[in-house]
Amino acid sequence: MQAIRALKPDRLYLLAVSVRGMPLNHLTTHLRIVSAFVIREIATRYGRSPGGYVWALLEPVAFIGLMSVLLGAIGRLPALGTSFTLFYATGYLAFNMYKGMEGYLASAISGNKSLMSYPKVSPFDAIVARLILQGMTSCVVAWVILYAALWTTSQPVTIQWSCIVEAIAFAWIMALGVALGNTVLFFKFPLYQKIFDIVMRPLFLLSGVFYVPAHMPHPFSDILLANPVTQIVVLFRDGFYVQHGDTGLDMPYLIAISAGLLFFGMLLFTLFPVARARD
Amino acid sequence: MIRLERATKEVRMKGVRKMIIDDVSVTFPRGKSIGLLGRNGAGKSTLLQIIAGTLELDRGRIIRQGKISWPLGFQGSFQGNLSGEQNVRFVARIYGVNTDELVAYVAEFAELGQFYHAPVRTYSSGMKARLAFGVSMGINFDYYLVDEITAVGDTNFKRKSQQTFKEKLSNSDVIMVSHSTGTLRDYCQTGIVLENGQMTYYDDINEAIAVHESNMKRH
Repeated sequence: MQAIRALKPDRLYLLAVSVRGMPLNHLTTHLRIVSAFVIREIATRYGRSPGGYVWALLEPVAFIGLMSVLLGAIGRLPALGTSFTLFYATGYLAFNMYKGMEGYLASAISGNKSLMSYPKVSPFDAIVARLILQGMTSCVVAWVILYAALWTTSQPVTIQWSCIVEAIAFAWIMALGVALGNTVLFFKFPLYQKIFDIVMRPLFLLSGVFYVPAHMPHPFSDILLANPVTQIVVLFRDGFYVQHGDTGLDMPYLIAISAGLLFFGMLLFTLFPVARARD
Repeated sequence: MIRLERATKEVRMKGVRKMIIDDVSVTFPRGKSIGLLGRNGAGKSTLLQIIAGTLELDRGRIIRQGKISWPLGFQGSFQGNLSGEQNVRFVARIYGVNTDELVAYVAEFAELGQFYHAPVRTYSSGMKARLAFGVSMGINFDYYLVDEITAVGDTNFKRKSQQTFKEKLSNSDVIMVSHSTGTLRDYCQTGIVLENGQMTYYDDINEAIAVHESNMKRH
């Protein structure tokens, strides 16, 4: 109370406003800006191709669907279940929940750089908008593909939603953390961006998309399972396959890595406000 | 009212450091338009960004009461694949104004005809500038930020935009960066001179211009 009395009258007014209405005002402003961004992204992501945003759904559906059918047709028996199509689709979708999100979020700021000149826009708005849009898109894609892939298996499948939801949540949290950090690092060190792209290219092969990491020979299985994306794939597949024995899933490890990446990403993003820096 | 309290900002560009403002406290009263003066590279545009809120201070703080615009006539945000109308809608959504009203206002003001519904990438630079100016005029701000006012369009359009802007200024103030002292005298009543990290506020724009000109002669 003493502190409030010590303030000048106009300060007191500011304080009252911030207590009474401003936090909510801020939230509605951000929600409004985020929705404006979502609409803009939908209109511009596939701006020049006819069909527009439909491609954001069709492209991955066609790609994953084709790959699943092709690999399924080769006729190998999958490591889990009876359908290679389902096995591959579950792996790739889980992988892409991370990779697709990370790539799209990492360019949220650089792709909307000019919009940062509007004082009203906060850089984080652009990221939240892409998180929402990519999240909804990839869920629709996953639903379409899995719905179709479930027809290709002869065994009855019991779906465990908790595993699926958890895997997706971890994938997005990790993607958000990595993307926030990379927004800063890509800006400060252009060379790092090249290196990151090259190093991350084999990630697809090392994430257990078309094999079961726990079935690999001993030293390799441990190395593969240390990759947090592999953990996401394993967790996601747990939602479709009932497995006996150790799948190599390490929840405390996955939680620690995702929380750590999110923390460091947010830390970098907050400490180095590069979004509005001049190039 | 806009107030800087012990504000400090240093800009680092490719290893070069430049102190823009060093422990500056100043209040801009509402109701008077301000001209910003200073030599090239003194940091006038940076200061404008700080006032707008797109740049953070290193130390100290800034208090803003009132709606502050983006730089007048800013067109970098226009997405080439979207139509002029779609781009206007986006700005309206961001600023929380009625989208249909703004779209209608800009349609009438910018005089783009059929092009209003065509992708912005097909626009000439003059058309883009007219669109940008129209959007700036379509939203009511308490402060308009101007970084070197540039006249756009033909004579008629110039006259119309000048007239509209002057009308706006009966209720709003402008914070203007310009190298043309004539323009500054025309729009501003008060002035600020930015020199060596110090900001000096003058109640009279003519005094500010005089100080700025003597500064320029000294080096």
